[in-house]
Amino acid sequence: MKKSKVLVGLFLAIAVFFTFSGCGDNGEKDSIKVGIVLPLTGKLAKFGEIENKSFLMAVDEINAAGGVNGKQIELIIEDTTGKPDVGRSAIEKLITQDKVVMLGGGYSSSVTWATIAVAQQNKTPFLVNTGSADKITEQGWNYIFRLNPPVSEYPGAFESFLKTVGTDVKTVVILHENSLFGQSGSKKFAKQCEALGLKVIMKEGYEAGAIDFRPLLVNVKSKKPDVIYMISYIMDASLLMRQSKQLNMNPKLFVGGAAGFTLPEFYKNAGTASEYVYSATLWTPSVPYPGAREYYDKFVKKYNTPTEYHGAEAYSAMYVIADVLKRTKSMSRDDIRNALAETNMMTAFGPVKFISYDKKVNQNKLPTFLVQWIDGKLETVWPKEVATKGYVYPAPKWNKR
Amino acid sequence: MEVFLQTLVAGILKGGLYGLIGMGMSLIMGVMGIINLAHGQLMMVGMYITFLLSHYLGIDPYLSLFVSMPALFLLGVAIQKYTLNPLMEVDSILPENQVLMTVGIGMVLTEITRFIFSSDYKSVQTSYSNATFFLGEISFSIALVIAFFIAILFTLFMFWFLLKTDVGRSIRATAQDKDAALLMGVNSKRITIITFGLGSALVAAAGTLLMPIYYLFPDIGGPFTRKAFVITILGGLGSTVGAIFGGITLGLAEAFGATYIGMAYDDMIGLIIFILVLLFLPGGFKRLTKI
Repeated sequence: MKKSKVLVGLFLAIAVFFTFSGCGDNGEKDSIKVGIVLPLTGKLAKFGEIENKSFLMAVDEINAAGGVNGKQIELIIEDTTGKPDVGRSAIEKLITQDKVVMLGGGYSSSVTWATIAVAQQNKTPFLVNTGSADKITEQGWNYIFRLNPPVSEYPGAFESFLKTVGTDVKTVVILHENSLFGQSGSKKFAKQCEALGLKVIMKEGYEAGAIDFRPLLVNVKSKKPDVIYMISYIMDASLLMRQSKQLNMNPKLFVGGAAGFTLPEFYKNAGTASEYVYSATLWTPSVPYPGAREYYDKFVKKYNTPTEYHGAEAYSAMYVIADVLKRTKSMSRDDIRNALAETNMMTAFGPVKFISYDKKVNQNKLPTFLVQWIDGKLETVWPKEVATKGYVYPAPKWNKR
Repeated sequence: MEVFLQTLVAGILKGGLYGLIGMGMSLIMGVMGIINLAHGQLMMVGMYITFLLSHYLGIDPYLSLFVSMPALFLLGVAIQKYTLNPLMEVDSILPENQVLMTVGIGMVLTEITRFIFSSDYKSVQTSYSNATFFLGEISFSIALVIAFFIAILFTLFMFWFLLKTDVGRSIRATAQDKDAALLMGVNSKRITIITFGLGSALVAAAGTLLMPIYYLFPDIGGPFTRKAFVITILGGLGSTVGAIFGGITLGLAEAFGATYIGMAYDDMIGLIIFILVLLFLPGGFKRLTKI
């Protein structure tokens, strides 16, 4: 009996603690509420964490510098857990309960795809900064804006690299994780390969989180491709490379389609298997935009851990949001939408201007870059103007290193 | 042919590990009649212990078996003694609520881990993590081969333990008929506690063996709980030998599915087998082997 009382007491204490921690700063009156949706738990939490830190860093800077016309910005960050259904209810809560003036964030294509519909329905402007499936901005929905390029444009720099350097590449194998991000990216990339005159001899999806990729990789090996292009989240990326090395598979190029291949954890987990792996990326600290290097240094100083393009996206998105809130005529969601549409500014992530092209509306257009892991460092190798080191092509065979 | 053989090897080696993961759950399900939905999360805790020992003290993952298994045994004992058994005594609560309790325990374990370690991915890099040897054209991952043989060793040990020792017989007796066992003087409460501890220790072993080749983060438990569940149903409740066959069947199905159908259908293939077994061989492989 006594034991159960202690347990009940403990439970109550925990419950009370959570209730109170749930309603933190509701007291402030003169703040502008902006809702952010990110995966803070679940298997995508690593990316969400980098973006979360970057959002907080940016909003602190903005508020310290006087906020927006004297008012402070208050970020309400909701956890999507990386699941579309949770994302939907998170965004509904932000719109109806917290009454935020606009929305930001949006990591992972599947979740973002589910949430933008809610934002559009409720006529709440949503600045997406990471979700990259093409169809997100292809619906003609006028409340949805996207800061980052769509996944089909990720390999832009890689294509120009192939045209100039890798002219002897003839065959490609595409491996992709099987959610919206990988499916969308691989489909477009296959089309672009054909346009470049390359033959896609295999295009395979896989379920993220697999232990053993060997059956898949043996199949790839028997086809002897020149290029293996992988669209993967971080740990799948490390395992794919480690097991490719174990199987002694030697294409001319291993190329990652951004996401997992640019994180510091990729090198930490893949070790020597990461050597000479290329990856498309949207941003590196050496890009020629004002504030890019400063952002990187500030982040490292504040959190004592490196950052990468996802962080830069979030950091810059926060500055765009602040800029929009400064320019808007009123705090009505329609005025904010109009101000968002007129955005024309420079950020650490590059110039931001929302245009419509092809089927896309309110899409920011940016060039991409090609990076390569050389001696455990992520070096920018293409385009040449921003390169920090010469590229290594073709990659030497595993057993000859 | 090379592709076929490599797939076969990959499936069998992975299956050995799966068997070890499923064995603990099978044991618990057999004795207590409940599904332990915190099974994968317990494995996650075992993996973190291995990671800590290797990261801070430089202890080899295989040696850390001697720490992670006893530690998880104690954790399992504590869970059964202080959270699951008290539920049995409250009349108004259905015994099925123990299952719900395990869901809660799983969540608590995950969130505590996230609180301590954050969501960072961790891995243990050893000299043999990437080591392979070749038999002809077929590559064998050394870490997986070792894991496979240790898994087989544990199966044989458990088999002997359940058949020959006093505690093992009591466990089987409780699994067959709890009331009868009670009447024969078996302290069934103590047996459930030991069983849960054993199950936890076994899955900790699986986690530790997986560590050199896989990676770790707080949410890793969920998918493995699901896998363990499938393996348990395949093998038959409470059967250790069944669990290892169930594990290898699942491993082979996943590997051949990945090679010849498509890796995207990994989970689907496992679950289709699960449904087929439930429909056509309820009771699992245990029905065929009788043990």
